[in-house]
Amino acid sequence: MVSSLFINPFSEDAREIVRKYGSLDTIADTRDELLEIGRRTRGQNLADNSLLPGSIAELAVKRLEWYLRRQRKDFNHRDYAYLMNPEIEEYDVLAFYILAQAAGAGFMKASREARLVVESAGAMVEDRLNVLGSEREDIIADVLYELGSEGLRWTELADLLGSGKLKLTDLILNRGRVIIDRDEFITSFQDIIRDRSPDRLYDILVGLEVRETMISRMIMQRTEEYIGRVREMSSTVEVHPIILETAERIRETVERIMSFTGGPVKSARPGKLVPEAFPPCIRGTLDGVKSGNRNDAIVLLLTSFISYARLYPSVFRDRTPMKVSDLDPDLRITLGEILPVIYDAADRCEPPLFEDDPQEKLNITAKLGFGVHDMPELENEGESKWYTPMSCEKIKIHLPDLCRPDKLCSSISNPLTYYNRKRWKLRSRGEKEE
Amino acid sequence: MFEPATPLERKRYYREEWNVRDLPDFIADNLHMREFGFDHNGRGPSDRYRTFRDERSLSRFMRVRYPFAAYSSVAFYREPGKRKGWQRSELIFDVDAKDLPVRSCDCEGVCPTCLDEARELVLMMVDTLRGDLGLDDIHVIYSGRGYHVRVLDPEVMELGSEVRAEILRYTAGAREPRRKFTDGVSSYEMEHFSIPLGYHRVFTERARHVLLHLRGDEDIEDVTARTVKTAVRNRDLILEDRWGEFRSVIGPRVYPRLVKGISKINMRMLDAKVTIDLKRILRLPTSLHSKVSMICMEVKNPETFDPLKSAVPRFVEERG
Repeated sequence: MVSSLFINPFSEDAREIVRKYGSLDTIADTRDELLEIGRRTRGQNLADNSLLPGSIAELAVKRLEWYLRRQRKDFNHRDYAYLMNPEIEEYDVLAFYILAQAAGAGFMKASREARLVVESAGAMVEDRLNVLGSEREDIIADVLYELGSEGLRWTELADLLGSGKLKLTDLILNRGRVIIDRDEFITSFQDIIRDRSPDRLYDILVGLEVRETMISRMIMQRTEEYIGRVREMSSTVEVHPIILETAERIRETVERIMSFTGGPVKSARPGKLVPEAFPPCIRGTLDGVKSGNRNDAIVLLLTSFISYARLYPSVFRDRTPMKVSDLDPDLRITLGEILPVIYDAADRCEPPLFEDDPQEKLNITAKLGFGVHDMPELENEGESKWYTPMSCEKIKIHLPDLCRPDKLCSSISNPLTYYNRKRWKLRSRGEKEE
Repeated sequence: MFEPATPLERKRYYREEWNVRDLPDFIADNLHMREFGFDHNGRGPSDRYRTFRDERSLSRFMRVRYPFAAYSSVAFYREPGKRKGWQRSELIFDVDAKDLPVRSCDCEGVCPTCLDEARELVLMMVDTLRGDLGLDDIHVIYSGRGYHVRVLDPEVMELGSEVRAEILRYTAGAREPRRKFTDGVSSYEMEHFSIPLGYHRVFTERARHVLLHLRGDEDIEDVTARTVKTAVRNRDLILEDRWGEFRSVIGPRVYPRLVKGISKINMRMLDAKVTIDLKRILRLPTSLHSKVSMICMEVKNPETFDPLKSAVPRFVEERG
């Protein structure tokens, strides 16, 4: 019998398991039962002993490793089949907390490592829901209840809506409430549904898809909050050495699997900027912007665009989070090429950006992932997130005056995609001419 | 009507007609937490960072300076004079009649027709804010050339720009509605008009508004001029709620492009920057919109509001 523990590490039962476990001293000890569960999992690859976690601490790192490998072409799900075996649930709850605590204690909240742990929690939920059989409906209902979905108002999902993890337009709303429950759906809408059974419409509009998305996103959100709390506490409370060791293993695992050579981001090599391929909004920003749009254009649009165009133009194709220093280890390109382009454009604004708002230099550094500091420095990396370029949809809202679409714009949804496509066109035209 | 006010007319308005007690409670109650801005010469609100302790001090300022335009912040600050200590901000939707990308008139600025179409849009938005989003503390303000919808429910006032943009997309119908669904076993394609609830219903209403007010010469992204004309020629079908037939006339392959184009128009029906800006200053209700000689005022009943009856200052009637 599968329980909600398999999906939701934030249930009262899950917390009880953590409370009861007590000291962390034995968390790295070998557990025969855990190994045994792995061995008897149907479909598990048993050719290599190192594939199976022997301890809870190892299981924690395996959870992340699974997520990183899952994105690679050579991923073999049989290597990690035990993660989809509900028998693992109690060990797994403990492993989840070890992983989250290590992410919080060892890394900044906005770091790539912390982000990957959050994403792995969401992906794990999605994949596990898919392997559930007849109990899927009941587990979903239980987990949603545990996560507080009863009487849920959309404003309680503000963090998810703001981070783009959930779209308001995907939710079914009535008087502020998010309608998840079948009976509530039918009671709320049966009078306006014609030509179709309300039950059927519920299955299509809310059904499994929306509920499962909500579960995975809510668990991601809770994980992120939990990591943040651990981060705060770790400055005042002494962290257990096993948690710090696990953090170190997270660092090694991420670096090993996501490194350039042989990693999933082979195509992500930095390349010289090709200004002829810049989209109209970027060309407009480089020419200088008037005060109404100035700050957002330089800090939000240009900073992310130039840094990604120079260092990681394939970010949307590879979908692998990288740090600036992964691509520019000594920050020579960032300091010598990227920042000068941004600062020059800031000077061309009317009035010049830094004369008016000198603190915007700090915001530019922050948008590159180096926290709120004057200049990017390796020791501060991860204090903030390296922002990807905003989409055309966002540009239309934030910077409507800069959006002067040309023909190519109609087929793309992000200025970086425009840049890649135009660059490719310019290159192939050049090759033809040769 | 709609002529600029002379300095003498402004002076008369603020000394004889305007009364600080007419300020809506939602402004008066928090006066000391808002930043005020003024435009004294018609070139924009250059006199900013002003604060007023109470209604009396604001009243004195208005009577002495009779500004071209008066604004107050949508944000509440601990130190409004420095714009520091942000506490919360109203959620704002700004519908300007003169900037509507789709309107049935072809006037240069504003006219009764486009003002009324802006009001129709506002009514729909208020319905969505109440019915779908469950918000209650909603105030509709006639701005002089359009309408502001100001929401002061505590649960939205602390939201950041990103969530506000999401609310904007929902309320304005500015996102292409989803067409593909799955119930876990099969997948389905459903058009917005066959789903009578949620965002799909909102989008259908907004699309109806756009299609019924098209003149036929508008540019809709990715849609040919011929399709726009076909839509205009066949819009009676929409009026009769025969969306399925309308879709067939447009063509099943072109229809999704039309829907996408309408979602983009819907975004331009409002000034999105106003919604996402947490530190905006907004025209002060009761103040004079001197460019058009109309009073910016709270609308108690948007269903029946007629600005040409209720928002015209006395000096305009006396112009002869």
